Amino acid sequence: MNWSAPLPGVVLVGTVLVAGAYVASVLDAGAARLVAGRPLRVGELVAGPWREAALLARIRRSTTERPDAQTWALAPALLAAMAGVAVATVPLAPGVAVADVDDGIVLFGAAMAVVMVGAFLHGWSSNSVFPLVGGYRFVALALSYEMPLALVLIAAALPAQSLSVGAIVESQQGLWNVVRQPLGLPLFLVAGMGLAFWGPLGMSDGADLAGGTGVEASGPDRLAWALARHFVLVAVAVMGAAVFLGGWQGPGLPGALWMAIKTLVLLAVVVGVGHRVARIRLERFVVVAWAVLIPLALVDVFASGALAL
Amino acid sequence: MTDAALVADVAIWLFGGGSVVAAWLVFRTDSMVRAAYWLLASFVAVGMVMVLLQARFLGLVLVLMMAGEMTIMAAFMVMFMMNPAGLNPMSMVHQHTTAKVAGVVAFAGLAFVGLVAEFPDRPVDPASEPTAELGEELLGDSMLIFETAGVTLLATMIGAIAIAGKRGRFGNAQEGSAPPPVDPDAPAGPDAHPSPMHGGHGGHGGMHH
Repeated sequence: MNWSAPLPGVVLVGTVLVAGAYVASVLDAGAARLVAGRPLRVGELVAGPWREAALLARIRRSTTERPDAQTWALAPALLAAMAGVAVATVPLAPGVAVADVDDGIVLFGAAMAVVMVGAFLHGWSSNSVFPLVGGYRFVALALSYEMPLALVLIAAALPAQSLSVGAIVESQQGLWNVVRQPLGLPLFLVAGMGLAFWGPLGMSDGADLAGGTGVEASGPDRLAWALARHFVLVAVAVMGAAVFLGGWQGPGLPGALWMAIKTLVLLAVVVGVGHRVARIRLERFVVVAWAVLIPLALVDVFASGALAL
Repeated sequence: MTDAALVADVAIWLFGGGSVVAAWLVFRTDSMVRAAYWLLASFVAVGMVMVLLQARFLGLVLVLMMAGEMTIMAAFMVMFMMNPAGLNPMSMVHQHTTAKVAGVVAFAGLAFVGLVAEFPDRPVDPASEPTAELGEELLGDSMLIFETAGVTLLATMIGAIAIAGKRGRFGNAQEGSAPPPVDPDAPAGPDAHPSPMHGGHGGHGGMHH
């Protein structure tokens, strides 16, 4: 099948995003129960996301005084579209990629930069104080994790001698990047948590801002924003699995299954961290990002470059 | 193959026209944040034209950089204008006569060049690797030029941070500042309080001079 044709491509990317968002949301609810020491009721967990989505879809929408309505509606669409672009660049099984272009990780970086625009606009456009503060928080957060993110992706491209995600997956035959470049995956996941404003880096929509950029969104709008955020998380996990965990490569099982397992592992790690680590103060994270994470990412680039030579 | 070429042709015209329309909307909107993001939309359209012209790396990097830069620009414009969040309507055009003259001159100049110049007609070889060629160029023959420009920009950024920092070359940024007075009728400023410097509160009084 030609996966880069329009219809199969959209169906494939959409399936990955929706299935991933569902699994992430089940994992999230499960982790919350585990951490709280409550019994895991599998039936409830499995039905949970559907019930929540159905409830949100039926709640009335609300609006604010003189919002920028078009931009407000655009924000979740922008996040979802950029998550889709990111997933499209990744080969999900040998030969199954929607757009494994030769500048794949640059395309991923560009898409993730536009996520910042979407999150800021979501906070700005409702013309309300807490969402606006949340939007500014996201910009400060994004400017701090963007450099480590770009640097670890560059480091991963060095042994492949290519910017294509497919070539990066192929280059990990025998030795995954998570072993070859031990700094890469942790830094990537920190940046990924920031991209999806998840767990310790969830300050833009944090409870200390009464919900941040999402305060004024209600009903279907809230559902769209939650979905978009989960889509971004899934895109990060899929890209992390391909770039650092060897993608579809693995013994015995078919490639697509390996890819699914690795993505699931990364989702579980991020979701688990979200329930075990407290939210960080933004000022502290900015200092840590510039003073610790960027130098570590530079070490990663230099060491990977030296190894690749 | 002709289908793909036709799609690419149509897409180039759409993105090219889109970039012009978005650039025009920069001046038609009444909010700084919207203006910044219409400009971003224009840049994204130009980036897509570059991607279609096989300069894929440059086109994508343009989108990547401009998404961040327009966001920073919007944030700074809102801060400097003290317009709550840039949502209050304000005109995006000023200096009308100068702007009209500059616009007409620029349009006439570019139109003249467009009519007179002989544009090269060299279809890109599909087998070529533009990203690799760009890398060779940046780190090969033109390395001295790009490294000079890069280091100069880096030095400028470090200098700007050194000057603007809280403990920059003009001394402590909070010197002489004071917290706003508790009594609303009392004047603000360093003389209003027996001890003007309260650790951690100074930042609130920075604009009271």
